[in-house]
Amino acid sequence: MTLSGKAAIAGIGATEFSKDSGRSELRLAAECVSAAVRDAGLTPSDVDGLVTFTMDGNAEIAVARELGIPELSFFSRIHYGGGAAAATVQQAAMAVATGMADVVVAYRAFNERSGMRFGQVSSAAAHQVNTSGVDNSFHYPMGLATPAATVALVAQRYLHTYGATSEDFGRVAVVDRKHAATNPDAWFHGKPITLAEHQASRWVAEPLHLLDCCQESDGGVALVVTSAERARDLPNPPALITAAAQGSGPGQYIMTSYYRDDLAALPEMGVVGGQLWRQSGLARSDIDVAVLYDHFTPYVLMQLEELGFCGRGEAKDFVRDGALELDGALPLNPHGGQLGEAYIHGMNGIAEAVRQLRGTAVNQVGGAANVLVTAGTGVPTSGLILTAA
Amino acid sequence: MSTPIEEAARRIAAQGESRPRLARDPVNQAMINNWVEAMGDANPRYAPGEDTVAPPAMIQAWTMPGLHGQRAGDDPLGAMMSILDDAGYTSVVATNSEQNYHRYLRPGEHVSATNRLESVAGPKRTALGEGWFVTTRTTWYVGDEVVADMLFRVLKFRPGGGTTAAAEPAAVLRPVISKDTEFFWEGTRLGELRIQRWGDTLRHPPGPMPPDGDLDAKPGWVVARGTGTVYSYLVHHHPQVPGKRTPFVVALVELDEGVRVLGELLDASPDEVHIGLPVEAAFVRVDDELTLPAWKVRA
Amino acid sequence: MSITVGTELPPLTIEATPTFVISTALATRDFQDVHHDRDSAVARGSKDIFLNILTDTGLVQRFVTDWAGPEAFVRSIRIRLGVPCYAGDTLTFTGRVTACEGDDAEITVTATDSLGEHVTGTVRITLPGGGS
Repeated sequence: MTLSGKAAIAGIGATEFSKDSGRSELRLAAECVSAAVRDAGLTPSDVDGLVTFTMDGNAEIAVARELGIPELSFFSRIHYGGGAAAATVQQAAMAVATGMADVVVAYRAFNERSGMRFGQVSSAAAHQVNTSGVDNSFHYPMGLATPAATVALVAQRYLHTYGATSEDFGRVAVVDRKHAATNPDAWFHGKPITLAEHQASRWVAEPLHLLDCCQESDGGVALVVTSAERARDLPNPPALITAAAQGSGPGQYIMTSYYRDDLAALPEMGVVGGQLWRQSGLARSDIDVAVLYDHFTPYVLMQLEELGFCGRGEAKDFVRDGALELDGALPLNPHGGQLGEAYIHGMNGIAEAVRQLRGTAVNQVGGAANVLVTAGTGVPTSGLILTAA
Repeated sequence: MSTPIEEAARRIAAQGESRPRLARDPVNQAMINNWVEAMGDANPRYAPGEDTVAPPAMIQAWTMPGLHGQRAGDDPLGAMMSILDDAGYTSVVATNSEQNYHRYLRPGEHVSATNRLESVAGPKRTALGEGWFVTTRTTWYVGDEVVADMLFRVLKFRPGGGTTAAAEPAAVLRPVISKDTEFFWEGTRLGELRIQRWGDTLRHPPGPMPPDGDLDAKPGWVVARGTGTVYSYLVHHHPQVPGKRTPFVVALVELDEGVRVLGELLDASPDEVHIGLPVEAAFVRVDDELTLPAWKVRA
Repeated sequence: MSITVGTELPPLTIEATPTFVISTALATRDFQDVHHDRDSAVARGSKDIFLNILTDTGLVQRFVTDWAGPEAFVRSIRIRLGVPCYAGDTLTFTGRVTACEGDDAEITVTATDSLGEHVTGTVRITLPGGGS
């Protein structure tokens, strides 16, 4: 029994991406879900399932009420921050494939810039009374208290182990911003950066410069999942869910898996990658576009290694010769990623994958047939391979 | 380069003195009585009588805006406060008052006050949070005669972001402690870096289960020698972290006993830190309940 | 009276009860909520309502003139605030003469509460015929 090819993404929807939406998170959720349902050629009464992140502030029932979705037979949430992104689609696909629901919408909507900013120190994260609070007790009180800092500690070891440099991190930011520069929906539309500007940007958590860190955004993205069969009858070309996986690794923590033998690695993404290749039967060379979660540049290099696009420690060489450009061996984040387009917790990257498969992206990679998408790294994570029907 | 706040401060300071604002009431015995009663001041000079004077320290009270009063449109302090409010520095606390009294006031005299902005300094890190010190000069007149003046300074701050010494109890993010980890924090209070031990196996961070899953096993702990080397580290610059002063170094240290433990590397110049640097345990006492483990460079 | 540098003033103790904090704030016409509304004070990051600076100036004046007598002319009061004085705390004023010249004297004043130094400052007074 396999999930591969059973379900498809039939609709995508988003709000504008901004620094201050001026409206409630629930309004953003309603807008993007509504847009996605409309894009799928459906109406709210067709929807019977909703999936989101545990971090999302909008209850499924609140979204259903606002949109007039009469009945829900399936609702579910995925944990671990941005690691949930691709897994929301996996949950939806499993529900559809097993007949638990016919049309499931995965959504994420927040005022992450004008409201609670993830880049700031969260005393709530430090003080939660559960195992994660206890985990954080060995990190937050010591001053390791922001996402950038947690990544910087791993990045430093990666630089040391493999002889990479800050410029190698910077090349990821430069290519993302180059792609965002020609995407009118991107916050950094028309604002490419140079490697020199990356190097000159201020330290946030050394060895991370400001331009190694993604922006903070307000906005929402929703994805409509239904059976491959039904999707074929809907207006837009379906993006088939060829593979969908979650992963956590040995000695796993949220952002602080510091007690494993190898610190300069993301084994949880290796767990995801192994499943994606197995489920899809595809080879690395079959992937036409990679949408890799880019909240911090070092983890893009490490994902390339974990997913097998290059050998361990070789990402720095892989990205040096233009492989990530639109005409390169593995075009990366044609929408500009979270560094360039917006930080919508990885969900905007899945929407971009769908546009690439439909052939409607602003930075279209010609003949894109298979797109690999990953979710947040440093945490238990997830991934997808989507395929043009 | 100057910030928008500094620009605004320069603009407001350049406007000079506000127009005089007349006190709501002339100096009067009733308000004096209320004041001395509240302060508990029994000085007979303020008691009703022919030679009554107002307490000099009352000068500011005469021209306070009052319960529903509003600042004048040209009041420089009000203008500066609203700019800082908009920038997120929403709380205010007075820090300095320097009053000079040229003469005492008598009932019936009607004072007025002018204000001007002297300086705005910041942003500064304070125990209350990041903020700006706003200094104004007030001059009180009776008619054209200057009767008193005051330099007044307030801290306009962003609450909650307080950073002071590492041992500031209110500011530190406190650990959530479970039955499995309480021995660790009991140890740091005693200046011991305790590592959980299951038979011959050490484990950090500690947890409730041994590596072999034996439900009958009971954990113990060893006191680490406290020496080790930096396995990885970062230099934290932004944003501010409660209880820390940026930039600061956080190091993941591999102890000689073979486990890794995270802590702030105290008093280290970021430039001298490198992977492999020998360090030793240090302990930062926060209060009776909490001592944080930390590191210092080994001599 | 005879004043010489180093003369210690008799300490003054003030019980900063909620009633005291509120009544002095209102007597100085300071209606900021942090001086009378505990919920607002807590919401703004304080532990409780706290004394206002106009009262600190008033108390410093009282502390000095209680000792120097009603004839003393207070020329200036300069204070700097340290830790807050929350309702329920006890303030203790201590002071000592730090300069004398002719009829003029300067007194250095400190007021401490359970959290530490609440006020430090100097007061300049003139005592008709009082110098030594």
